[in-house]
Amino acid sequence: MRMDLSRLLEATAPSGVEWAGIRRFRGVERSYSARDGKFDDARLDDDEGYMVEVLTGGQFGYAATASCEVTDLETAFSRALLLARSASPRALHRFGREVRPVSRATWESPRQKRAELSAGDLSGLAVSLSSSMRISDRIIQTSVELGTRDIEIEIASTTGTLLSQVLHLATHNLQAIAREGNLVQKRTANGSARIFQGGAELFDGGSLELDAQRTAEEVLELLAAEDCPSMKGDLVLAPDQMVLQIHESVGHPCELDRILGDERNFAGSSFVKPTDIGSLRYGSDLMNITFDPGVRGEAASCSFDDTGAPARREFIIKDGILVRALGGLESQARSAKAGVSCQRADSWARTPIDRMANLNLEPGRDDFDDIIASIESGVYMESNRSWSIDDFRNKFQFGCEFAKLIEEGRITRTLRNPNYRGVSSSFWRNLFKVGDGNTFRAYGAANCGKGEPNQIVFVGHASPVCAFRGVEIFGGEA
Amino acid sequence: MNGMDKLEARFENARKVLLNELSSGEALSMEFLGEDSLFVRFNGGKVRQAGQVDRSIVSFRLFLEGKSMTASFNVSGNADDDSALAARILSRTREDAALLPEDPYRQAPKSGLESSQCFEGSLPDFDSVIEDVLSPTAGSDVVGIHAQGPVVRGAATSAGARHWFSAETFVTDWSMWLPNGKAVKSCYAGRTWDQAEHEGRLASAATRLEPLARQERKLEPREYRAYISPDALNEVMTFFSWHGLSERSIREGTSAYVAFREGRQSLSSAFSLVQDFSLGVEPRFNESGDVAPERLVLVDKGKLVSTLVSERSATEYGIPSNQATDWESLRSPSIGPGQLREAEALAALGSGVYVSNFHYLNWSDVESARITGMTRFACFWVENGKITAPIKDMRFDDSIYSLLGSHLEALTQERSLVTETASYGLRALGGALLPGILVSGLTFTL
Repeated sequence: MRMDLSRLLEATAPSGVEWAGIRRFRGVERSYSARDGKFDDARLDDDEGYMVEVLTGGQFGYAATASCEVTDLETAFSRALLLARSASPRALHRFGREVRPVSRATWESPRQKRAELSAGDLSGLAVSLSSSMRISDRIIQTSVELGTRDIEIEIASTTGTLLSQVLHLATHNLQAIAREGNLVQKRTANGSARIFQGGAELFDGGSLELDAQRTAEEVLELLAAEDCPSMKGDLVLAPDQMVLQIHESVGHPCELDRILGDERNFAGSSFVKPTDIGSLRYGSDLMNITFDPGVRGEAASCSFDDTGAPARREFIIKDGILVRALGGLESQARSAKAGVSCQRADSWARTPIDRMANLNLEPGRDDFDDIIASIESGVYMESNRSWSIDDFRNKFQFGCEFAKLIEEGRITRTLRNPNYRGVSSSFWRNLFKVGDGNTFRAYGAANCGKGEPNQIVFVGHASPVCAFRGVEIFGGEA
Repeated sequence: MNGMDKLEARFENARKVLLNELSSGEALSMEFLGEDSLFVRFNGGKVRQAGQVDRSIVSFRLFLEGKSMTASFNVSGNADDDSALAARILSRTREDAALLPEDPYRQAPKSGLESSQCFEGSLPDFDSVIEDVLSPTAGSDVVGIHAQGPVVRGAATSAGARHWFSAETFVTDWSMWLPNGKAVKSCYAGRTWDQAEHEGRLASAATRLEPLARQERKLEPREYRAYISPDALNEVMTFFSWHGLSERSIREGTSAYVAFREGRQSLSSAFSLVQDFSLGVEPRFNESGDVAPERLVLVDKGKLVSTLVSERSATEYGIPSNQATDWESLRSPSIGPGQLREAEALAALGSGVYVSNFHYLNWSDVESARITGMTRFACFWVENGKITAPIKDMRFDDSIYSLLGSHLEALTQERSLVTETASYGLRALGGALLPGILVSGLTFTL
């Protein structure tokens, strides 16, 4: 380990405590943006620091510092210990060492091309893609942002844990805005869902060029499209919108810390009750949701979470029944419910809480054409542009960028400003078609906010195309 | 050395190192963001997590030969380590920037102004803070967070600017819950902790919980008269920054206020919006060391009179800057008061909905400035000026041009300073001075 974390721990951890640990985090982010065919900005962020934790009297205390000097870490441990001791009489739950398991592992995101692309390469590609989208005077703005993120996490504990994990991420944001008269439309490449693990292969110019061309052509198509009609009909969602649907109406309500009330003051609670875990019919029989940290290339693939718990694939919802919650070891200890290894922190300066990591909808059996053919009257929607849901994760309203009208089993016309709204559980119980593996795509969300103090993490979501019965659909003027 | 002095020493060291390391022909602006915060998170009046975060971020923009690039890193307070890190990051930034295309709109800093503001606080003792905060919650289901400690911001440039802002603050942000899932929200924030004030707020919340125990009223989706509290209105203020009053955003067509700018839409003549740093909740300087005017009128009697213009937009569009941030986001907003006395708000509402808080707002259609979101916490049905029942949470979907325009009936004379409580990365500074508003129609859709 770079700083020999176990020796650092040995030199600084206080004696006489039940457990002590140290987590080193370093995240290096680079981003390059272009606008209207010209360079816009470039950024390099190097964020490194240490979180120490102490367990005493059944209560954890933590302290975060950017310093790896022995005296500073000793001070951090002292603060953590003082806080743990003073909090212990008012502890919400008396934890034991089992919530910080003994693990030894190393892991790194698979990459096809390991060499780092230069600032010149990535800024040049951003400018080129931004320029490619300027195919009409009606396109009033094009923008591209390309990013990389390399994250190193190391954990050592007094019980012998020694873990090292390196994640390599890439993000793409391609956007075109067009205007005709007073009508303004936006089209992106998959909304903001393009976050993946991998190397330089994720910046293939040829593939991104095709995405840029399609984005520009479709924003012009939207200018000529009619507004999405208000209707109660069948809704078909592309994987880049399923990302948001899964995230907001499955992921968050199934987080065990929300179910246990920790988030009631900020991110919100859940319509799921502890007693629902193992029996609640969440969706139709076609609904199979997995927590799957092992999908190659998906954003939150990993080997362990930030408590050191080994990451394993588990069903959260099986054949429509909620069988397990998204809760790490601390929430599992508090609730005596089955969970997964999902306790994550966004940096060295925040303590891990229940998070989603990779949360996926497993593929079904229908190909795309069969799904469309099965629909008498409905709308097919792509790419999220708006999201809102209540604090118990019931009533949602989501908007997309691009849609197609479905009439008598055929796609007929392009629609702009498509939106839909519903209630989570009834929506998922009306899932009636799940696309096959050919429609399955992995995307993610780069900015999921939660926790007090607040944290933002990236998550992965993979899904096939899915269809839902009887959804309230509407357009921009509704 | 107290917490604020410790953080200023880090700023000063980083400033000196970065400026000393500059080569001929280079220029630099830097920003410093720091805190040494204690966080106590609680649920059911019990401690969920407790910890301390000592974090200082240096962010700088390097200018060289028509090119520029930003970079950031953490400093720890160990001067030698910090100096070596600053030099290494600067060197890497120099190498990368050399490979970038030129940016004709990004100008090297010119400002050489200096300023310093320091607000010392009186906070609960480290040893007793958990008892101070939580012992008065006994018997109540209280969930939230207490944060305290110094929060600082600094900025400097190679042209000689140096600005410093530091404050020792606390925020106790919590909600008190009934078993039926209804809650009252409260936030106690400031620089001088008053234990009696904290206990009084808890006692007041317990009183305000009483009507929430009544039978819930389920409303049908349609338009309702509504009173929107300052806390709820604060959620709407985000929409003046996000796709908001940024000059760049309006010119690029990404703003919701294109129609406002072009005179196709207007807001109520009773509505005025000012960026007002006299609120004293955040510094006037931005990340480039430029100092904004103390007051900038954005909307005057329903008409758009200014937008937020950064130095970069000023250069690109050939217009004067008003020293906005690079993101051209709204800081220290203040909405002008109206004529309605807060005590008479329910009577003026008559029958309709009292909205204490909104939740999870988003644009539902940027082009028409339409937003959607949920009601949250203590929202009530009001009948003939009296609260009769809590409502089941409802989704609204309405245009800002309606809420603050054609449907705006009145604003309260009294205004509340709503403190910024966000802590993404670091504890945020800022706040908004807002009245409550009475609207003739708020459209519930689900």
